[in-house]
Amino acid sequence: MTLSGLSIKNIGHNWLRTILTVVGTAIAILSFVLIRTTLSAWEAGVDNAAQDRLSTIHRVTFVMPLPKRYFDEFNGARGRIPGVKASTFMNWVGHKHPTRETEFFATMAVDSGTYFDVYPEMSVPPDQLANWKENRQGAIIGEALANQFGWKVGDDVTLTGTIYPGDWKYKIEGVYEATKKSVDRAQFLTHWDYLNDSLPEGRRDMIGWVASTVDDASRAADISAAIDAKFDDQDIQTRTMSEKAMTMEFLGGASAILSALDIVSLVILGIMMLILGNTIAMGVRERTHEYGVLLALGFRPKHIATFILGEGLFIGLLGGALGLLISYPIVEQGLGRWLEENMGAYFPYFSIPTSVSALALGMAVALAGLAALVPAYSASKLDVITALRRIG
Amino acid sequence: MSEEATSAETSKASAKASDTTTAKRSPIIVCRKIVRSFWRAKERLDVLDELDLEIAEGSFEALMGPSGSGKTTLLNLIAGLDRPTSGTLTVAGTEVSAMGDAALARWRSQTIGFVFQHFNLIPVLTALENVELPLLLTSLGSSERKKRAQIALRVVGLEDRMHHRPQQLSGGQEQRVGIARAIVHDPKIIVADEPTGELDRKSADEVLHLLERLNKEFDKTILMVTHDPAAAERATVLRKLDKGKLL
Ligand SMILES: Nc1ncnc2c1ncn2[C@@H]1O[C@H](COP(=O)(O)OP(=O)(O)OP(=O)(O)O)[C@@H](O)[C@H]1O
Ligand SMILES: [Mg+2]
Repeated sequence: MTLSGLSIKNIGHNWLRTILTVVGTAIAILSFVLIRTTLSAWEAGVDNAAQDRLSTIHRVTFVMPLPKRYFDEFNGARGRIPGVKASTFMNWVGHKHPTRETEFFATMAVDSGTYFDVYPEMSVPPDQLANWKENRQGAIIGEALANQFGWKVGDDVTLTGTIYPGDWKYKIEGVYEATKKSVDRAQFLTHWDYLNDSLPEGRRDMIGWVASTVDDASRAADISAAIDAKFDDQDIQTRTMSEKAMTMEFLGGASAILSALDIVSLVILGIMMLILGNTIAMGVRERTHEYGVLLALGFRPKHIATFILGEGLFIGLLGGALGLLISYPIVEQGLGRWLEENMGAYFPYFSIPTSVSALALGMAVALAGLAALVPAYSASKLDVITALRRIG
Repeated sequence: MSEEATSAETSKASAKASDTTTAKRSPIIVCRKIVRSFWRAKERLDVLDELDLEIAEGSFEALMGPSGSGKTTLLNLIAGLDRPTSGTLTVAGTEVSAMGDAALARWRSQTIGFVFQHFNLIPVLTALENVELPLLLTSLGSSERKKRAQIALRVVGLEDRMHHRPQQLSGGQEQRVGIARAIVHDPKIIVADEPTGELDRKSADEVLHLLERLNKEFDKTILMVTHDPAAAERATVLRKLDKGKLL
């Protein structure tokens, strides 16, 4: 046995309380990691959002469609907009899985001829792409979605319509992989032509929005203004902005929530420190008599204080480590997977940054040490005779 | 041995201490006009009142007296846990009444072995680890510490219980582990405050026998506070304390 061994053995003094405290600390660390990971995933969403890709939507709201002919302004039929490199258009289809209807994924009817020119970070094997272009009922899906429902190339899939009612039959012709973190890896891409031709006359030839890449990201704002100017005197006006601007606008609304989460994560640490402080203080109070014995044997107050600090740090370390241990499966495999698959547009990539786990572990240990400081100090002021007289 | 000390011995105890070797040896504990007072609500209470005492090296002394007479207070002073309000106290050649906290703690860890009424073993440690405890303050290496702790447990006859925790031991066994802890660092003096107070007759006799052996075979000076006349019988000298004065 050693002095530090003695310090650590004291956690066995009251196993139940030690275990509860360690578990409590672990849960606090899990919550902290969860919140911090959410915040950083959110920020990563902004950082990764493309600045060189513009979305042109209905001036009022993206829910309202634009006439298909608007696209003629982009693709060269009526000249080009200076600075625009490539453009495509698509409709939000909003299909659902026939049996697992709560599992959300984005279904998009896209222009097969131009879509992948505008989204080069989605990569499809050339033969699969060619097959898809040939088959009007073909679909290309993200690899996350393929995993989620166990779909593979060649499968026939029937989806349930919502915006466009009825059963929709598709054949999976390809699976795309994301070469950038910002890409939603769970999309279901179908042919716009197929959708359009299936619609009643009155609903045809409407598109959800236009997406364009630009040559120079720093001119995104000017180019956006130039696009919108084209439609100024039309009956439906447009609003164009970069993906990054759009994400930021969305996050602007959420910024109050973000700072609230930020504060909550600190409050959780504060509660964790109180739990630790309470446990340590209770243990120290119960062991006053024991410390009296140690003092009688010749141990010094600094030994006693060190034992208590060591014990606190050790409990903090155990709690922090356990917290991280449960955080990885819960945050990355469970919740993270779910968010990536279901809210991929906002959380394309949800995983615990190393800096967050390091911070969490460091905080667990440091705050446990801090919580042990007061009991350690008061124990170091114990008088040997008073302590011995206290029957523990 | 001084005259007061001799006169303080009861006739019975002195008769028992027939071997004169004890009386011839020089005193290891010398108290001169020791006063220890406590203040209770502005009222001064002289628990020990100008007490003079000499204890010869190698003796086994019992201290009796009514509750509240100051036995524990005196024992604490001699053991260097406390300092007298006035007077001088010399133990094992050191004037403990003049020492600072740190020096006193170091001195205690080398000179005194403690046996407590409530055994006071650390519950999370095994018997062996409890006995090893005082050695953590020495410069001994870990294998040497362990060896010495095992020897001390052998002396008290509990080598086979060394990996047991206090909870897994009987009261008598706990107290024997307590005694092993008191001797592991080979102190000159053992102080025991009612060491049999919590024990049944049989366990008490075993503990007393052990203390006798430590006194005779290992030449430890033992000062034992007790309420038990049978325990006092084992001592070579019996002193009685009443209202802060030796009778
Ligand atoms: N720290 C203290 N503060 C105030 N009074 C004290 C203190 N320590 C001891 N006393 C008082 O001194 C007196 C003697 O106490 P002590 O513990 O020495 O008695 P004792 O002879 O050991 O008694 P017992 O046989 O009950 O153990 C008691 O009246 C006690 O209340
Ligand atoms: Mg007493």
